Amino acid sequence: MVLQDLGRRINAAVTDLTRSATLDEKAFDGMIKEISNALVEADVNIKLVATLRKTIKASVKFHELPPHANKKRIIQKAVFDSLVDIVNPHQGAYQPKKGKSNVIMFVGLQGAGKTTTCTKLARWYQARGFRTCLVCADTFRAGAFDQLKQNATKAKIPYYGSLTQTDPVVVARDGVEKFKKERFEIIIVDTSGRHQQEDALFAEMVEIQAAVQPHQTVMVLDASIGQAAEAQSRAFKETADFGAIIITKTDGAAAGGGAISAVAATHTPIVFIGTGEHLLDLEKFNPQSFVSKLLGMGDMQGLVEH
Amino acid sequence: LTGLFRNVVGGKTLTKQDLIQPLQQMQNHLLEKNVAREAAARLCASVEADLLNQRTANFTSIDSTIRESMSKALTRILTPTSSLDLLRDVTTTISPPNPRPYVISIVGVNGVGKSTNLSKIAYFLLQNQFRVLVVAGDTFRSGAVEQLRVHVRNLSELSRREDVGKIELFEKGYGKDAATVARDAVTYATNTAGTEGNGMLFDVVLIDTAGRRHNDTRLMSSLTKFGQLANPDKIFMVGEALVGTDSVAQARNFAKEFVDTKGKLRNNGVGMDGFIISKCDTVGDMVGTLVSMVHATGIPVVFLGVGQHYGDLRGLNVGWAVDKLMK
Ligand SMILES: Nc1nc2c(ncn2[C@@H]2O[C@H](COP(=O)(O)OP(=O)(O)OP(=O)(O)O)[C@@H](O)[C@H]2O)c(=O)[nH]1
Ligand SMILES: Nc1nc2c(ncn2[C@@H]2O[C@H](COP(=O)(O)OP(=O)(O)OP(=O)(O)O)[C@@H](O)[C@H]2O)c(=O)[nH]1
Ligand SMILES: [Mg+2]
Ligand SMILES: [Mg+2]
Repeated sequence: MVLQDLGRRINAAVTDLTRSATLDEKAFDGMIKEISNALVEADVNIKLVATLRKTIKASVKFHELPPHANKKRIIQKAVFDSLVDIVNPHQGAYQPKKGKSNVIMFVGLQGAGKTTTCTKLARWYQARGFRTCLVCADTFRAGAFDQLKQNATKAKIPYYGSLTQTDPVVVARDGVEKFKKERFEIIIVDTSGRHQQEDALFAEMVEIQAAVQPHQTVMVLDASIGQAAEAQSRAFKETADFGAIIITKTDGAAAGGGAISAVAATHTPIVFIGTGEHLLDLEKFNPQSFVSKLLGMGDMQGLVEH
Repeated sequence: LTGLFRNVVGGKTLTKQDLIQPLQQMQNHLLEKNVAREAAARLCASVEADLLNQRTANFTSIDSTIRESMSKALTRILTPTSSLDLLRDVTTTISPPNPRPYVISIVGVNGVGKSTNLSKIAYFLLQNQFRVLVVAGDTFRSGAVEQLRVHVRNLSELSRREDVGKIELFEKGYGKDAATVARDAVTYATNTAGTEGNGMLFDVVLIDTAGRRHNDTRLMSSLTKFGQLANPDKIFMVGEALVGTDSVAQARNFAKEFVDTKGKLRNNGVGMDGFIISKCDTVGDMVGTLVSMVHATGIPVVFLGVGQHYGDLRGLNVGWAVDKLMK
């Protein structure tokens, strides 16, 4: 699971410090350094780590602590709060409404897991009583339509796509119009992978968006992404103004710090996480329980309410 | 890099104390370029060993001395010890006295660009007049077979138009055992029947495989059987430039699956033959994955993927990579 090793390391650093005989400022600095290293190794953006380091130092104010203060608790809380702050953008995601057409458009880098996650999300809503369907607006990637078609067929979800139309804007518009007419409640639009360095691809994303007028644009991010996460997600945010993030491949070994940095850079909530290649491998995301899990629960959990 | 010691000019014998802070800055610089911390720390240690007790040259700051040493260290780690000449290797293998098809397989985690870069290699081989059999060894992911069928159709069209090589798809649909499909494909390519004395049907067999998590022990261990049954001449792993620290474990865990029937790691104990680092066009200067994967295994980078089209495959230019990393 994402970030678990990181959590273990952070917890160990705090525990080491509070157990050590001389709990002085030097030991405190050492602990912060160890936490920073753990975050960097988890792919958290290096500038963000520097900020975090300052936040923890500033909120603990080590040299001002009275001699009898519960230092361990104060430090733990500071670490916990600053981490929750990263994954909790204090903003809710769009809630689809029954009885009307909710259009959800997927965007993201190449190979992040968009097509796979589209069907997972469609199934998720279908299982909750929504009339759900899929539109394949990826006309670029070889076999993209077959991929979506096979997934949708397995999940018994209606789909739309074209083997002859090469303009994704046209396919997206036609598909969404058709399904709106048929009163589908959740219409999920898959698009091809793209990156900020290629202007034409970003322009295409804007055109698709203009054509389908999504209620929600979702950015899909691979949990293993490294330092490029921040710049790419910022660029997607500026261009497509996505309102939610889904992190995929959290069943892998990566700590997910890159994806977390994307959240921090764009102040956008993570709504779901992908936990495998199969249709049902999707979970709702909850920042509080995420950080508790990240920090290995235990005595940190009591801090959530404070 | 803005260094505290920028103004120290020339003729200084470097102590550990002098080096600590500028090396820390250098390490942070590498981390920003997406080099894994483990690899960055190793590079900085080698720079320290290189410079400790050395005198800086005249009019040279500690910073620029460190930069120079780091450029050298990066060049050293990225430069392969033996160069790979794929075209020559293929030519030798398919020529008498014992001609047989040259077999390449592509492995890697999910979505990194295996199938796409396999198609780019096919294009490169076609341009060099070889006959290529593409094998749909990903029998799991939806659309994987159709994806390759589209690529083979496109490339077939290209090769007809340009009158170079020939290409065909070998597929057995979904759900089949990939190792068996791969072995049957090699047998098929070796077939001499109906070739009117032209020798075998194909010169090169390119085998695609399903993406898998390197921490999935069941799927990972099936690679061992795959390697033994298909017995490829080259196993290339695709790693994407976008990936962070996980690159190190990805490289190590894939490499260790490729043992021969006697339990010995292939390719002189390193397991695989090379990395293809894909999506280099998506990371700007942050090409640290190159360094991390080589650091983890000692396996060289043989190709870079620099886009989504057939021509977007490059050999590694070490100078280019070092420039980006030092920028
Ligand atoms: N292990 C694991 N694999 C996943 C998950 N989500 C997607 N994948 C795999 O990641 C690979 C890429 O997924 P796709 O859905 O094709 O990615 P995409 O973003 O649509 O790719 P492009 O359309 O080419 O940009 C496939 O092999 C998927 O099976 C996940 O949560 N866990
Ligand atoms: N920008 C860019 N995109 C690339 C590059 N190589 C591959 N891609 C894209 O990455 C996505 C995934 O590529 P695939 O070849 O399907 O990846 P894969 O590793 O075979 O995926 P699975 O079989 O699902 O594990 C596609 O959208 C490709 O076009 C590259 O060098 N640059
Ligand atoms: Mg897709
Ligand atoms: Mg593939």
